[in-house]
Parts: sequence; C-alpha cells; structure tokens
Amino acid sequence: MSAMVKDNLSEIVTVNMGPQHPSTHGVLRLVVDLDGETIVGVRPDVGFLHRGVEKLAEHRTYHQFIPLTDRLDYLSPLSNNLAYCLAVEKFFDVKIPERAEYLRVIFAELARAASHLVWIATHALDIGAMTVFLYAFRERELILDMFEIATGQRMTSSWIRVGGIREDVPPLFFEKLKEFVSIFDDRINTYENLLTKNRIWLSRTVGIGKLSREDALDYGVSGPIMRGSGIDFDLRRDEPYGIYNRFKFEVAVSDGCDIYSRYLVRVKEMRESNKILQQALDQIPEGPVMTDDPRIEIPSHEDVYEKMEALIRRFYIITKGFAAPKGEAYGCVEAPKGELGFYIVSDGDTKPYRLKIRAPSYVNLGALEAMAKGHMLADLVGIIGSVDIVLGEIDR
Amino acid sequence: MGLMEHKFSDNIITSTVDGVINWARRSSLWPVTFGLACCAIEMMAAGASKYDLDRLGIIFRATPRQSDLMIVAGTVTRKMAPVVRKVYDQMPEPKWVIAMGSCATSGGIFDTYSTVQGVDEIVPVDFYIPGCPPRPEALLDALVALQEKIKSDKVLRK
Amino acid sequence: MNFSDLVKKIEEKFPSKTSSYEKFGSRFIVVDRSCYKELLRSMKYDFGFEYLVDIVATHWPKRKEKFDIVYNLFSVANKIRVFVKVAIEGDKIDSVVDIWKGANYLEREQYDLVGVKFEGHPDLRRILLPEFFEGHPLRKDYPLKGRKWFNNADEQGLGLKFSR
Repeated sequence: MSAMVKDNLSEIVTVNMGPQHPSTHGVLRLVVDLDGETIVGVRPDVGFLHRGVEKLAEHRTYHQFIPLTDRLDYLSPLSNNLAYCLAVEKFFDVKIPERAEYLRVIFAELARAASHLVWIATHALDIGAMTVFLYAFRERELILDMFEIATGQRMTSSWIRVGGIREDVPPLFFEKLKEFVSIFDDRINTYENLLTKNRIWLSRTVGIGKLSREDALDYGVSGPIMRGSGIDFDLRRDEPYGIYNRFKFEVAVSDGCDIYSRYLVRVKEMRESNKILQQALDQIPEGPVMTDDPRIEIPSHEDVYEKMEALIRRFYIITKGFAAPKGEAYGCVEAPKGELGFYIVSDGDTKPYRLKIRAPSYVNLGALEAMAKGHMLADLVGIIGSVDIVLGEIDR
Repeated sequence: MGLMEHKFSDNIITSTVDGVINWARRSSLWPVTFGLACCAIEMMAAGASKYDLDRLGIIFRATPRQSDLMIVAGTVTRKMAPVVRKVYDQMPEPKWVIAMGSCATSGGIFDTYSTVQGVDEIVPVDFYIPGCPPRPEALLDALVALQEKIKSDKVLRK
Repeated sequence: MNFSDLVKKIEEKFPSKTSSYEKFGSRFIVVDRSCYKELLRSMKYDFGFEYLVDIVATHWPKRKEKFDIVYNLFSVANKIRVFVKVAIEGDKIDSVVDIWKGANYLEREQYDLVGVKFEGHPDLRRILLPEFFEGHPLRKDYPLKGRKWFNNADEQGLGLKFSR
C-alpha cells in the first residue's frame, strides 16, 4: 500500500526549458524530466543556430573561410582563427615568422581571458551575483579595445591568416597591453573576493554537477571541465603548437569534479594567461609578420602599390586561392572551451573537400545529463553555466 | 508667468494625450532578452558597465509578456523561426522589433540551406542595424532612433 | 610509446588487416572493414587511447567505398594522437557508443549531416536539423543553395511562409 502511495507521489513531470530562456546562454533547449524537484533526465535539443558552416566551407577558398571561423565560438574568435590556420598550414609545412608567432600567442591568450570574463560574468549572474557581471564586462571592454586598436574590429576580427597574421600591430597596442597585464591580476582578485569564499556561492557550487574522472574521459570532454575533474591535460603543454613550449605556465587542475572546481580552474587559467602575456611582451622580437612562402603568401599592400608582380600575385591568390595537396590535416588548439580542432580533407583543389569542426562545447554538452542527474532543477542553471557552452560552435 | 498665473491648482501639466503616452512608452522600453548568436554578446556589452542601457530606461526582461521591444540579435535559422514568431506573438501591443546585425537583417554571410534570409520574413521589423556584429554604439543609435519614432506615433487615431 | 611501436603492436594483433601512414603531421591507421571495431576496442583498453576526440564521415560519391569514417583518438597518458580510418561501401557501420559514451553525440551529428547509419546506437535521431528535414546536407550531391524544405512542415501552425 505504501509503495503505491509513493508511486503516485513520484510521478515524472517533463519540463521544457528554452530555447528562449535567459540562462541557457543562447538558444539551447533542454527537455528535463523531474521527480518533484529532482532531475532524473535531461535531453538537450540543439541545432537552433545551425547555419551550415561546414557546407559553406566546401565552397569557399582557404582564405575565404577565415571570417566564418570567427562566428563559431564568438566569445574568442581569434582562437578559432588560430586553430583553422594551424590546420591549413599543416598542408604546406610553412615556417611562420617569429613576431607573428608571438602575436598569435598574445591574441589567443587575450581571447581566452575575454572568453573567461564573459563566462564568469554570466555564470555568476545566473547564480545571482549581479556585481561580478558589471566588473567582468569592464575588463572585457579593455581587451576588446585592444583588439580594435590592432584589428579594427571588436569581436569578429579575422586577424590571424594562413602564414602569419594580417598586419603588424600599432605601438599603442603594446602600451595598452602593458597596462592591462599590470592590472589584470588585481582585477581577478576582485572577482575572487566576491566569489571564492562567498557562502552563497559555495553552497550553490560545491558538490553540484559531479563528473568523475572516468566519466570525463569516457564522454570525451575537454578544457576546463576535464581539468576540473582532475585530468592533468592541456594541449598547450602536451601537444604544443606554435611556440607555446617557450612559455612557463602551470596547467590549472582541480580534482573536486564539481562546479566549484571548474570555477577554480578557469580563474587560475586567467592568471596563467596573464603570465604568458607578460612573457610574450618581454620576448617579442621585431620583424615581418607574414611568411614569404610563395605558395600561400598574400603580398602586403605596400608591395602591391609599388611592384607589378606583387599586384598580380595578390590578385591571383585572392580570386583563385591556393591549392592544398591531397590528404588530410588536423589542427587543434586549447581554446577557452576545450580542444577546438579543424579536420580538413583536401582533394588537391583550392577549396576544402570536407571540413569538420571538432567543437569543444558540443562534446562537453554530451556530458550534461551525467552532471545534472540527481540534482535539483535550480542547480541546472549553474551546471549549464559551468559547462560554458557557446551555441555558435555547438550548432555550427 | 503672466497669463497662466493662478489659473490652475497645484501639480497640473498640460500636454496632448499622444505626448504623455508616447513619453511614457519611449522612456521605459523593455526589450526581451532574445540573444541568438554573436550579436547577443554585443547586446550584453551594451547593457553592461561601459555602455549602460539602464540610463535610458532600457531594462532587459526575461519574458515576452513584460516586454515591448524585441531585439533579434543573431542568425535566425529555420528551426528557430517558429520560436521567434511565438515570442513575438506573446508580446503585448504596442511592440517594436529591431533586427540587429547582418544575419537578422538579410541572412548575412550565411546563405545556406538552414538560414532564414532576414527576420523580416517572420515578423515586421522597425529598425535594421548593419554590422557583423554591430558595435554597442550602433545598437544605442537604433534605440534612440526608435524613441524618436515612438515620439511621433498617434495613439488615439491611426 | 611512439607511433612505430604502436603500429608494430597493432600489426601483431591484427595481422595484414591494417596499414599506416604519416602525412602532414597526422598519423593514420587504415583498418579493414572486417575488424575495425575490435581494433577500436583494443585501442582503448590495450593501448590506452581513452579519449575519443572526434568522428568524421566523408562522402565520396564516385568511389566504390562511398564513405570514409575517421576516428580521432588521443592517449592522455602517452600524449599521442592517432587517426583510425575505415572505408565502407554502404552507409552502415557499427556504433562505438559501447566503447566511448562520448561517441553518442558525435555519431548522431554524422548521421544527421552525412547520413551514415550507426548500427547499435541507442538513440539515432537527427540532432542539429529538425525531424522533417529531407536529405543529408554534407553529402556531395546535396545542393548548396535552395531552401526547398522551408515550407514543408509548419509544425506549430503559425502560418510561416518563406519567400527568399
């Protein structure tokens, strides 16, 4: 008899959340099965932002695709540029000039800081801390101002090109960067003062959204979620691309496996990014920023105005593009969300035959159900925030 | 004050009905948070510390039932189109729509099998903002322009 | 363990079923259709490739084997990345969800966009596109333009009609 009563009480209710919901960070739809307040199942429904980027890539030359990569993970466009360009450069085995390598690192780490700042802002806002949102966006504006000085665009700058970067940065950029590097650590202290030992923050995050080490590997999650589950893995150190092996930095790892440890990992990563920026500022040499490899080089504007052959070459490479040899190449970076990879199949044409984007948020979202099961509905918002999804790269 | 002196009791302002109602409407535009893609981040930046939309009386609401403005910020896909329309239908009159960015305006660079070529296929649009994504200043400009538009509305007679 | 050791061990375990090559910085193991699942299983449990990074399906309409499936594997312990490639004639292949749970979403995506059917998958539905979509857009014979399916189903009865 009691069992029957219990059965009546524990009826499973299905609740729809999204796609228009302020805490799903875009257009994510979740179908949540609830037993009272407890989550017994989550079925993410994605694709509301599916724009067909991979199909477009098959009809764009290698250079023309760069602006489309900006719009994948729109919180850190320059990381996406870098991953794509690394993949294309694999075909040509090209030597990138030193200054361009350093500028790439600077851009990638600034993009990481900008992305994590949006994460801490929205994540804290979801959980109820409005102040952090206002502080974090203040610092993000500093970074976007630097991007604007260097590239002319705040967000979707398409600045990293195959074979280097588009153009050298003006001296004002370095002044602003020095200023930013000197204050950023202190600004992170501000966020930590607001959150790290905040009792409300702790009770909303500690022990919530558990993902064990084994599950993390099984689901293939990457980035801060993987490191928040105690796996010491970072592509910047373990499969170094560019010149990352020259920098001294620690890989942030925390083995709490919950939202709080992911928070700690990301905050530490911002500090480490700041260290890398400092080192890059100290070491950056003068020199060209675009390779002189004739297969992929785009002649600079100064050359085009003066030399006939540069004009012809530029016209040719912009209109027709360059052909990659037959085969497959894979380039990946440790993007703010995790491992971002571009797998390109070439059939010898100037356009990719097939381009597959390994989007970190997409794979991380697959582990959402494992994280959310058994927790309260109100915690789901915090768990989504800790996954740090960007729908642009999930849906592509 | 001359002629007007002692003609009215305290706390009375004379104006037209249109003037009062339009003043109230344009001074408290509440947009529904409808971020779709990249432009949503710039929309958030416009609402955050540096650009601070609150000073214009613009406060983002999470529900369409309390909003009178929809800022479509980002790419609208075929799968999302019914949702956009449904959110719009749920908003009370009077309502306005701003299409923010190239994608919402015309599909932008995504001329593919799944992208709606402009949100005006689904809902009527009052203002289009160019840019990919537009700067927060551009959004502010559109909002001020919308306030000007509301100013010249006729409330009682169409 | 480096790549040549790995290739040797795989050769011992699966004699004359595999071949390997290294090109453009990526290491490939090409495996025969008959034993690719055993290979993938032993990649995880014997050789330590615990981390399934990605699954890519490529459509080759003019070839006899219509699809290439590439599994992107990484060994966190040995820090080595290996691509396992298998070519299939039809559009059916066994699912690897029982080996890596993360394959669930990756396979659903490839089914949705390329149209490879993963047999044994617990929940093989479209994921990015709506259920009423016809065809698989990343196949080579799918037209780039043309939004013919747009007005096919007005699923919520809102009267949506698209002209462009």
